[in-house]
Amino acid sequence: MNISRRTALLGGASLLASPMIARAQTNKVEVVGIYSLSGTFANVGDLLNKGTVMAFDHYKTAAGKQINYTLLDDQGDAGRAVRRVQEAMGQGVRHVVGCTNSAIALAVAKEVHARGGIYIHMAGADEATGSQCNKSSFRWPGASYTAIRATLEPFMQANPAAKRWYTITGQYVFGESLLTNAKAVMQEKGLTNLGNSYHALSEREYSGYITAAMATNPDVLAVLNFGNQTVDVVRQAVSFGLKRNVKIVVPWCTGLDQYQAWGSDIVEGVYFGTNYWHGVESPGNRVLSEVVRAKTNNATNYLQACGWAVAQMFVESANKAGSLDVPDLTRAMEGLTYEGPTGTETVRAADHQVIKNYYLMRGKARSAMRDADDFAEILQATKAFMSPEQAGCKMA
Amino acid sequence: MQGQVILFQLLNGIGIGMIYFLLSVGLTMIFGLMRFVNFAHGTLYLVGAYTAYSVSLLTGSMWWALAFGPLAAAVIALISERLILRHTYEMPHEAQILVTFALALIFQESIILIFDPLAKNVPVPSLLSGIVFIGSFVYPAYRLAVVFAAAVIAILLWFALERTRFGAALRAGSESTEMVSLLGINVQKVFMVAFLVGGGLAGLAGTLSAPLRGVEPFMGSEALGVAFVVVVVGGIGSFTGALLGGLLIGVVQSMASSLWPEGARLMIYGAMALVLLVRPAGLMGRS
Repeated sequence: MNISRRTALLGGASLLASPMIARAQTNKVEVVGIYSLSGTFANVGDLLNKGTVMAFDHYKTAAGKQINYTLLDDQGDAGRAVRRVQEAMGQGVRHVVGCTNSAIALAVAKEVHARGGIYIHMAGADEATGSQCNKSSFRWPGASYTAIRATLEPFMQANPAAKRWYTITGQYVFGESLLTNAKAVMQEKGLTNLGNSYHALSEREYSGYITAAMATNPDVLAVLNFGNQTVDVVRQAVSFGLKRNVKIVVPWCTGLDQYQAWGSDIVEGVYFGTNYWHGVESPGNRVLSEVVRAKTNNATNYLQACGWAVAQMFVESANKAGSLDVPDLTRAMEGLTYEGPTGTETVRAADHQVIKNYYLMRGKARSAMRDADDFAEILQATKAFMSPEQAGCKMA
Repeated sequence: MQGQVILFQLLNGIGIGMIYFLLSVGLTMIFGLMRFVNFAHGTLYLVGAYTAYSVSLLTGSMWWALAFGPLAAAVIALISERLILRHTYEMPHEAQILVTFALALIFQESIILIFDPLAKNVPVPSLLSGIVFIGSFVYPAYRLAVVFAAAVIAILLWFALERTRFGAALRAGSESTEMVSLLGINVQKVFMVAFLVGGGLAGLAGTLSAPLRGVEPFMGSEALGVAFVVVVVGGIGSFTGALLGGLLIGVVQSMASSLWPEGARLMIYGAMALVLLVRPAGLMGRS
């Protein structure tokens, strides 16, 4: 199964055209991926989908049945995502993977749960395994709590003199969540929060925010966002010479693809938190890296790893259950331990969060890079997760 | 806000405004001259930026990119105008919007297919990679160079529009194309050159912006939004309006990011609404 972007789109179109996508075929299992192949988040959705396609291409079967994967394009719109999933589930599909942002995941999770399916996603908002957790939904990456705890706490330990913090935050659910967690850590450690600049999701020019941050003379600038906006804020902060006397921390970074977007001159000396790094030595990551290298001739990035991970979780749980029925899959998933992209990973039964490593990294100088992708070193790997009680998960 | 910070934000706003001016001057020229709504203008910015990325990757030099970025955008603008857009001049605005929007989408998706959807880095030329101290402030040398380059281009453009025969034809064309045609001037040629120059300037804006913001496939549509605001604020068809509009929007955005950070983007549109209330035709536009 080798699905190109065009084929995947055609697949999505054929889903609309065909009323019987999930016609019962006993030797096949239908799985749909919900990603944004157009719209604001298309650059993220495309790579996530590629990761999922590569995983299903690699595993081929789940519980002895051939996997038939179909992509649904939500165009970056949560409402459209729900409608596409409704259509697919109306035709008998019960297995759904993927999301491009938290708002989409939270909306789809409710829908899949209501219709008796199983949903494995990569949302970043704490709510997905907290106040909005449900029996049908499982999350692979560490969320905003994990990102902040696994990044800021070890950073603060290593840099005790850095007491004055300023934050630049994207004004939406995920940014707010990062900021709330960051403020809590600062308060616990007795650090000074000099201020925060919110910016809109449509913003591209950050020099004004950086100037405002510089005027407060901080020791640390924390960039609380994700995607291209994070890339732009850090690039512009470095161009204003902030690295001379301010440490820059990016708790939520996608790793390799963002390092490539910055280049080593910008990355050097900056601290990053990330859910995945291609250089991690583990059996699961070796398999993933070999497949991605064979398909793309490149190292694996976070988005591909995320897309892979949700597909792998589906296959692992189906193989453990020996069944594709949703109740069997859910039971098998709860407590499932497997060799994932970050090492041995476990699905916590109480809130359906995968317990895995989150990495604090620091950018290397160009002269210290061993190869073209060796942008940063891992300073610490931490499994920092909120307890289900703290998160407020009451499993529905 | 401290006085020093205000001063610095003002300087920063002028820097942003000059980029906005470069981005929008071509759009206002084309609309003013031909009453043509070009939703593909952001694409030319995109082409300039990606050409800069490709050339700097191939040659390791941003200086070559400065030559090829505007050139590539100008050639694309010219080809689009000759092959497609000139057939839509007599059509209603809705048709022009549809055609140019389709062109924009085709170029955007082509960029994704050729490169990939991820953002790319374009290094600042090493000569301009440092910072400049202005009193107790620091400012990126490259941004200062962009302000200087945009100012030089503004002067050259003003000279070309106000002091040359072609500029006179262009300005006259924006008043009445029929009259210019009756005077024996080849209006089609004037339109073609306007597209060429407008496209080249948008490409130059993309090229100069690439080291500041990197490149990614959706930057064209984002740039188009700002360009339309600048054109409306400055007054449709006015070169001076594009300059004043760009500076006003840049300064408002920069100031607001200190005074009301979460509303900085909104303030761009707030400023536009205010200008339209006071001067419905824009700062330099004629009703």
